[in-house]
Amino acid sequence: MENKSPFSQIKIVEAGEGISAAFGAKMIADVGAEVVKIEPPGGDLTRRRGPYPGDTPDPEKSGLFIYLNANKRGVVADLTRPEGQELLGKLLANADLLIHNVVPSQRAAQGLNSTALLAKFPKLIVTSIARFGDTGPYADWKGYELISSHAGGWAYLSPGASPYPDQPPLKCFGSQCEFQGGIHAATVSLAAYLHRLKSGKGQAIDVSEQECVAAMLENNFMHWTYAHRQTSRLGRRILGPWFITDCADGKIFALAVEEAQWKALVELMGNPEWAQDDLFKDRIARGENMDALIALSAEWFAQWKVQDLYREAQNRRIPFAPVNTMSALYKSDHLAERKFFVDLDQPGIGPVRLPGAPTKYGTTQWSLRRPAPRLGEHEEEVYCGELGLTPERLNQLRQARVA
Amino acid sequence: MADLPLSGIRVLDFTWAWAGPFCTMQLAHLGAEVIRIETTARPPCVTRAVPPFADDIPGPNRAGYFNQYNQGKRAMTLNLARPEATDIICAMLKHFDIVADNFAAGIMDKLGLGYEKLRGIKPDIIMIQMSGYGQTGPFKGFVGYGPPASAASGIFHGTGYPGGEPMEVGISYPDPNAGIFGAFAVMAALTHRALTGEGQYIDQSQWETALVLMPEGMLEQEFNHREPVRKGNRDTLMAPHNCYKAAGDDETWVAIAVGNEDEWRAFCQAIGQPGIATDPRFATAALRKQNEDALDAIITGWTKERDRWEVAKLLQSAGVAAFPSMGNKDLAEDPHLRERGFLVELEHPEVGKRIHAGIPWRMSGTPCAVKSPAPLRGADTEYVLKTFLGYTSDRIEQLRKAEILI
Repeated sequence: MENKSPFSQIKIVEAGEGISAAFGAKMIADVGAEVVKIEPPGGDLTRRRGPYPGDTPDPEKSGLFIYLNANKRGVVADLTRPEGQELLGKLLANADLLIHNVVPSQRAAQGLNSTALLAKFPKLIVTSIARFGDTGPYADWKGYELISSHAGGWAYLSPGASPYPDQPPLKCFGSQCEFQGGIHAATVSLAAYLHRLKSGKGQAIDVSEQECVAAMLENNFMHWTYAHRQTSRLGRRILGPWFITDCADGKIFALAVEEAQWKALVELMGNPEWAQDDLFKDRIARGENMDALIALSAEWFAQWKVQDLYREAQNRRIPFAPVNTMSALYKSDHLAERKFFVDLDQPGIGPVRLPGAPTKYGTTQWSLRRPAPRLGEHEEEVYCGELGLTPERLNQLRQARVA
Repeated sequence: MADLPLSGIRVLDFTWAWAGPFCTMQLAHLGAEVIRIETTARPPCVTRAVPPFADDIPGPNRAGYFNQYNQGKRAMTLNLARPEATDIICAMLKHFDIVADNFAAGIMDKLGLGYEKLRGIKPDIIMIQMSGYGQTGPFKGFVGYGPPASAASGIFHGTGYPGGEPMEVGISYPDPNAGIFGAFAVMAALTHRALTGEGQYIDQSQWETALVLMPEGMLEQEFNHREPVRKGNRDTLMAPHNCYKAAGDDETWVAIAVGNEDEWRAFCQAIGQPGIATDPRFATAALRKQNEDALDAIITGWTKERDRWEVAKLLQSAGVAAFPSMGNKDLAEDPHLRERGFLVELEHPEVGKRIHAGIPWRMSGTPCAVKSPAPLRGADTEYVLKTFLGYTSDRIEQLRKAEILI
């Protein structure tokens, strides 16, 4: 698909592995920027994580890799070697933005030191994402998604009002901390690009995953700094109703913490006598006595199909939501009408239905224009066609396992 | 004026609760002048109304929740139920670049502030509406809150202890997530405008911003018609990979993750049990995963006798990823976050100096800093009307008496 987006003039080089940098680059690629993704000779680690069609591991068929890297061209360069760094330098000479998540301790050895890069390319924007940021006592500490979710203070609060005090703080599903590193990096990178349009100057951006998480802990952080209270996964909900419960064919999240919502819910339940009990006189009491509320309402919830109750409740302005399965999401009428899911034609697999645009723009075009690259797929096109390497030189680099 | 990425950009901020203010706070951090529109004609926004209050003394300017997510902004009061209020907004609009709200779908139109109207006044205006379900589709009128959005997006379904039921995730995650995606969308629209001169309208659904974070689960379904397996703190491939009990009360835990053979050998040495490195049950990553319960029992035997920081420092010095599970006090007192300048402590007129979470990025060329603490309700009403509309103090007083500036 031809790329007519005004963003097509933004040239991005992506390096590192995993989700954070790849997602950050994807955000800008999906509105039209041109991205060259550099992978290490063994391929990105998400190629080794799946999920795969039919559970057959194949580095060219990882769903996570495909999701993160559609719209990008892919090359291989071993940045730990001088020849690889030479390729990186040639790519950066034509780039506006470098986004990577190589750990601070390995950057100098991979030609990714921000200060050195800016000395050479003063207009370049260098955005690095690190588990603990680029500086400070933990800068060189190792991390994975699990570590970020605990170091940032999120897991400590999860699941909240836990019925299992002997169980540890609970990591959220998926790779949320890496995604947050990525979306924050993309946002700030565009801010730096806007600044460069005015000033002509590049700069270095340091994004800390730990800080991205610590900045989104609802009101928990201030419970300490405002009122000297420590919060955790234990305790109980302050307001009610607020719980997950069973319907006939699945689970629903029942939330009705405003007075009008509670009244509407009581009416929907057919005004049961127990609802008039002092135990449930206001939202604080309904929080304190939530176990009784759950038990007394269980039979009523169990009569409903999830989708029917969801719609009935929402029609009365009660903010229930189904505990959706992935299968239910793919079948949603609402998401279908908004054309949320998009089909990507991925060679070797066929159409893959992916989550689409997070945001509907009136003018900016969000699109998937090309499939995710095979490992090293665009080396001739990029290295020879655009950077001027001879085919012989590319062959040498390949034999030396640099490309 | 400081030379920041968004210096000179102005935002009319109609957002409330958490998602919207989290978006406009990012814009303030990047240098935009953000003017919050609030009213005392209705009960205050939830974040001004719920604990924690400074020293447990309630008050709309004392709420930590509000004061965290409105740092660096200005605030005016304006009673949007009155047509004169709409006139004031329209008269000021030419000085603004961005209009943001997170009302339910349709509210801005009802207030006479829909996109077509605003565009008629300021053709390159950027308007972002961040509702629960988006402005179109059969559920557009549904009530969207953050915790139900976690349920709706499959996050609860995927989260839980191994073998257990779906669980909540402790925070209303889709709220700040919608906020940061909204901030990205505004940056994209500003870039688009800088490159083409065109403004635009942005429709953002909180539900959809959460769904883009679910590829591992969605693609398992797409490829293999299977739901994701709840794993707690465990991983599909790595082991050890868990949160382990450390010495101390119920609240002391330490997360450890071992990602490759080098780390595994280093781990066994560091915990003083080189023997488990040669234990046939743990000889390969696949076997460690298979025998994870036995492995976790051995590790817990070691961690539960030790301080969580001692565990983290010992393992990190051996090149193994480990970190205490951090509570609010831990974060507020953390030397690393303090040294990096993440923790900010500005003098607020009512609550004094309180530590807040600051900006999670650093920019070498345009150093962003939290400009000011969150505004008192209505603190900047006069400033706004005088600066952008040239109103006199007398006229402002009349508007106050007429209950338009409440």
